Amino acid sequence: MAVQEVSQEVTPERGRRPRSAQRTSLWGWLLALPTAWMVAFFVSSMAIIVLLSFGRTTNDGYPAFATSTANYRAIWNEVYLELFLRSLTYAVATVVISALIAYPVAYTIALHGGRYKNALIAAIVVPFFASYLVRMYAWKALLSDDGLVNSGLRRSGLTDGITFLNTPYAVIGGLVYGFVVFMILPVYASLERLDTSLIEAGKDLYHGPVRTFFSVTLPATRAGLYGGVLLVFLPALGDFVSAQLLGGANTFMMGNLVQQQFAEGQNWPLGSALTVGMMAALTALMVVYLRATSTRRREA
Amino acid sequence: MARARRLERKPVLAVIVTAVFFAWLYLPILAVALFSLNDKKSLSSFGGFSLRWYDDLVHNTALLDSLVASLKIATVATLGSLVLGTMLALGLERVTSRRGRVIGAVTLLPLVTPEIVTGVAALLLFTGIGLKLSMTTVILAEITFSIAYVTVIVRGRLAGIAGEVEEAARDLGCTPSQAVRLVTLPTLVPALVGAGLLVFALVFDDFVLAFFTTGVDPQPLPVRVYSSIRFGVSPAINAIGTLMLLASALLIVAALWVPRLFNRGGASSLDLITGGDQR
Repeated sequence: MAVQEVSQEVTPERGRRPRSAQRTSLWGWLLALPTAWMVAFFVSSMAIIVLLSFGRTTNDGYPAFATSTANYRAIWNEVYLELFLRSLTYAVATVVISALIAYPVAYTIALHGGRYKNALIAAIVVPFFASYLVRMYAWKALLSDDGLVNSGLRRSGLTDGITFLNTPYAVIGGLVYGFVVFMILPVYASLERLDTSLIEAGKDLYHGPVRTFFSVTLPATRAGLYGGVLLVFLPALGDFVSAQLLGGANTFMMGNLVQQQFAEGQNWPLGSALTVGMMAALTALMVVYLRATSTRRREA
Repeated sequence: MARARRLERKPVLAVIVTAVFFAWLYLPILAVALFSLNDKKSLSSFGGFSLRWYDDLVHNTALLDSLVASLKIATVATLGSLVLGTMLALGLERVTSRRGRVIGAVTLLPLVTPEIVTGVAALLLFTGIGLKLSMTTVILAEITFSIAYVTVIVRGRLAGIAGEVEEAARDLGCTPSQAVRLVTLPTLVPALVGAGLLVFALVFDDFVLAFFTTGVDPQPLPVRVYSSIRFGVSPAINAIGTLMLLASALLIVAALWVPRLFNRGGASSLDLITGGDQR
């Protein structure tokens, strides 16, 4: 009896060994093709852009590999640095405005949405995943000099119309309109998980909803907010569509510069250096940000 | 008790912000849709309903070619990324070695790389290896970009069903590949349908990657729309824009709801997008 029990326990153990080895090889095999694909089309493309950033343009205008740092020296000038700072400012403004919008919206839906919660979130997600381009166009149509807003203003007699387009406000507004959903979703997810009895306890302890919010709700949903900041910042910094359609030459961002080098200027090596520079700056910012937020999270 | 107390005091300011937000979100889109039905060419005064801009579209062969091109691109890219993304998800779920983690991280990189970087890099790669820019290059770039979406969604679903079901199938005499084919893949169907619809909508609407990797003719629809928007606003773009919005809205609604039909009470793709079921 006892022997039988032992043997029953041992047999599957023994049987599992070769099977799990077999499984690992099967899974490893499954990984091979997608990994090869990613190396062939993603990793290698990133390698090429780094290589070409040290390249040069031949006399007949073709990009060629070389080992010159001329492109990096060329991008280290006032014009480009100003553009970089402007992009950074726009992206940070986009993040801040997005957070100010996203938090109350996510809060209302998560804690007061009741049975319409999912429907409301879907009502936000659906237009956001539908054509970014068409949504930017919608703003352009609305804000243009003969658009609905300006003709309304003229008809009301308040003003002769306001130039909205080609201003930083239009570009930042476009970026917020484009990416605010990436802030709403993580904040909503963290508010959903929030134990509401904490808020109750906070109200008993701190008196008043405002102090409760800042000492209980906000810290508890910090992770979602931190995630949202990244998800909005990254696409906003690299965007060129908003500045192209809603802005003008004096609101151009880094993305526009890169796009010009590749699509219009045809200086690919310089464009590559700009792209690599942008990625380097982005990675540095990311590392600093992740360090800072992870210590704060640990302290919390 | 706690619930009643919480609900009795609504944060008025937050509710107002939310209402304004929804208006801000939908007004521009609704304006585009409304003016696509405008009888006049004006973008600010409405002269009565008419389908003339839609009629123009139907006779615009260049635009129709672009539409067909975009549909082809989205279909092939969706199928390709579903196959590769699912293989990747199945592999990553079980290979827990260091190598597996590195591969997992690399495949997620396209999600955090600004799209313009991915697009420019793809352009350089294709020209570098002598591939002529065409619909094929757009498809290759879109697949590379979409694999990560499929992998994330499928892994979310895999985490829910764990290896036990598969283990049971093995105990009943399945070979490893049979277990995957007969047991794991069928349980993944809702996730695959959801991921497929999402990727189709994303690729169909994608402008940045298509812009950098497309050839001259036929241009994908978003690229053609972009070049006409740059030169100004016109009622015809309102019409095509409305159709694009409608099409992708329908796809996304389906992506959110179809998995739910398969799996009542379970996780929907909405949970995956909001992270509701993770952590």
